[in-house]
Amino acid sequence: MVLKGKVAYINLSTRKLSQEFVPARMRTLYLGGRGIDMYMLYNHLKPEIDPLSPENVLLVGAGLLGGIPCLGSGRCDIAAKSPLTGAIGDSNLGGFFAPELRFTGFDHLVITGKAEKPVYLLVKNDEIEIREASHLWGKDTFETQTIIRKDQDDENVKSLVIGVAGENLVRFANILTGMKNSAGRTGMGCVMGSKNLKAIAARGTTPLEFAHPDELLEYCRQMNDMITSTRWSKAQSRWGTMIIYSNTNTTGLIRTRNFQLNRLEEGQDLEPENIDRYSIGTSGCYGCAVHCRHRYILREGPHAPLYGEGPEYTSLGAFGTMVDCKRMETILVANHLVNKYGLDTLETGGLIAWAMELYEKGILNDKITNGLKLEWGNEEALYELISNIAHREGFGNTLADGFRKAIPKIGNGSEYYAIQVKGMSNLHSDERPTPSFALGIATSTRGADHLRSRPAIDMYGLPEDVLEELYGGPVAPDYNSYDGKPRMVWWQERLYAVTDSIGLCKFQTVFCSVHAPKWKEFSKLIQLATGMEISEAQLMEIGERIYTIERLFNLREGFSRKDDNLPERYFKEPTQIGLPVARNKKIDRERFSKMLDEYYELHGWDNNGIPRTDTLKKLSLHKEPSNLM
Amino acid sequence: MSEVRCLNCLKRFPVLPKAETAICPKCKTKYRISWPTPNQAKVRGLA
Amino acid sequence: MQKMLAIDPEKCTGCRLCEITCSIHNEKTCTPERSRIRVTKWENEGIYIPMVCQQCDVPICETVCPMHAVKRDTETQALVIDNELCVGCRLCVQFCPFGSIGVDDRTKKVIKCNLCNGEPVCVKFCEPAALQYVDANTLNTRKRRAAAEKFSDILKKTLARF
Repeated sequence: MVLKGKVAYINLSTRKLSQEFVPARMRTLYLGGRGIDMYMLYNHLKPEIDPLSPENVLLVGAGLLGGIPCLGSGRCDIAAKSPLTGAIGDSNLGGFFAPELRFTGFDHLVITGKAEKPVYLLVKNDEIEIREASHLWGKDTFETQTIIRKDQDDENVKSLVIGVAGENLVRFANILTGMKNSAGRTGMGCVMGSKNLKAIAARGTTPLEFAHPDELLEYCRQMNDMITSTRWSKAQSRWGTMIIYSNTNTTGLIRTRNFQLNRLEEGQDLEPENIDRYSIGTSGCYGCAVHCRHRYILREGPHAPLYGEGPEYTSLGAFGTMVDCKRMETILVANHLVNKYGLDTLETGGLIAWAMELYEKGILNDKITNGLKLEWGNEEALYELISNIAHREGFGNTLADGFRKAIPKIGNGSEYYAIQVKGMSNLHSDERPTPSFALGIATSTRGADHLRSRPAIDMYGLPEDVLEELYGGPVAPDYNSYDGKPRMVWWQERLYAVTDSIGLCKFQTVFCSVHAPKWKEFSKLIQLATGMEISEAQLMEIGERIYTIERLFNLREGFSRKDDNLPERYFKEPTQIGLPVARNKKIDRERFSKMLDEYYELHGWDNNGIPRTDTLKKLSLHKEPSNLM
Repeated sequence: MSEVRCLNCLKRFPVLPKAETAICPKCKTKYRISWPTPNQAKVRGLA
Repeated sequence: MQKMLAIDPEKCTGCRLCEITCSIHNEKTCTPERSRIRVTKWENEGIYIPMVCQQCDVPICETVCPMHAVKRDTETQALVIDNELCVGCRLCVQFCPFGSIGVDDRTKKVIKCNLCNGEPVCVKFCEPAALQYVDANTLNTRKRRAAAEKFSDILKKTLARF
């Protein structure tokens, strides 16, 4: 039988376990992965609970198409109420965990309560065991996985783990699998830590069945050909997401010294080509023909020898441009440290860059930082602060709570310098020249984040009719323009909601290439793999439903239009340098507000960003919570 | 011949094989070029 | 000349598309456990090595099989298991020096690579070309050339001095 994936309910307080099949209706409404996770988050949580209390629920979901041989089908979605923002907590990671979970017979795990002592979950072909984990507590993310593999005497066990950061309840602790695949954003590792849950290990041998295996195989081959023939994927296969740095830093779209500049001058050492000095080859997640991360070895220097994977474009900003460190080696060391401790690379870098600017401005001083000289480019201070955050030592303890709690604690006008939305740090991209991106990070349901929409397709000089055909309405081809940009954000939000729910990789849909697989191809893949007939229009509606239930969750937690905003500096300080297209740009407050109106209208939400009754009815959301699972 | 896109004016223009630099014919911005594959040029930075 | 399934571990990215597609093609389900090819990994060091039957010229599996169930396909030269004869004694599993023969946990019979009757699916999906289905001589020539290039570089440098 195709689609026989189950959901397991695990209460760590009572040690009660139960399981059932994922209801067919949930598949047609929410597909799987992020969609089903978001539904359950809205349905299972009472409003206004403390994210670190046993009442919070940790959701692990494999995608509907998890395991198929194309487009990076190993994505896993993790959700909970975020301890960093208080809003939707949701983060997605690659690697090999999600397919292994599917091979056990489970597609979703729903974890509540709190274990008395450190435990880990072992999911093995239909059986779930809560096991003692005191021998794992205190171990780093890599050691933890190695020990579990040894304990089970099975090299194919795949684990989601937290490091010391998660144990210490750092509010942006990540969950990691393999050497680098992380659910980094929104502090899902912190939620795991709060439940005394060190790891979730999976090992399965149950066959994944498909409706039309032979046709699926052939179509997957076509999909891999389709994605690997795009210019974007060719470059990404060679140098990973770091390739984006060539364009953004050259143009002046990268925030530098926190938010003071928009390009790292003398940033040549961070160019992706320089990873070749350290790389032994690239590495792919499950079923991925693009293989976008490097396997790197640091053979010399005080931190050698060291093996790591990545770094992503985000780390080039987090430990490069934002903190004004200009050496590739610094990135590689810091990237390794955050992965080892289990910290979100982006939040860590964003907070440290903020602290460095506060230090420069005199808002922080040596007394507050415990003697740490938080000067621009001070890489030793960077490494030390990363460790301090993970261990909650000294000034690191203040940053470990994220912007929401650190801002009032530091006070003295520090809020103005914080580049965050809804309490979550932004990527190191500078959105002042790109209103579409600016709208995207402002409206993202999980706080400042590029991966909810990443509307980048207007950056390639495509003709107006191509954009209109893609987005189903007029979009200005000029990326400095505000015209039509809400439509881009709206379209991409729905596409990514679906991509995360079928469990494919965002890089392999309309991310940087208009020629990548999207609705039509997704519809066909779903039909061949599961037999479900879901049209392109229906997929778009599912995307809308998922995004709207996320919106409902945030509204219930007290978020509203006022939170769909940008840091004040976007409106006040124009960009200083860069190519003419990116220079002397800031966001116009009035036009931003107008974009927000248009964006709400496209979603069918009112002027305050509240979904209208007819929208809820159309999306079958008017009776939530409906408790289908 | 491989093409790159000018990051300033977004015009696509051809790059000579193995070239290390290229100038946008429209806005005259000068770029350093790298090659992910022997047949595909990519802007690396400003020249 | 006879074609062979050649493996270049240096190119392998560890994505396991070979395992997945092998099982879908041969078993009609995605079950890496029943794949004829497996990627062995040293995850913490970033080393990935696909392992598959080498279709040995002097096959130990054939030698040890008491039922003579291991036969050579005359077209592809692949060693194939005759399921009618196989009694599931697993001697071949024990003796294969590459660990490339597995046991199907449902039928209890052994499974191994049969080169997909001359069109190996894993090769079609291997984007970095870590797996290639090539003429054994071609492979040999390529490797020779790659090795010779190192010498030729030295020679060129030496000659340039005169």
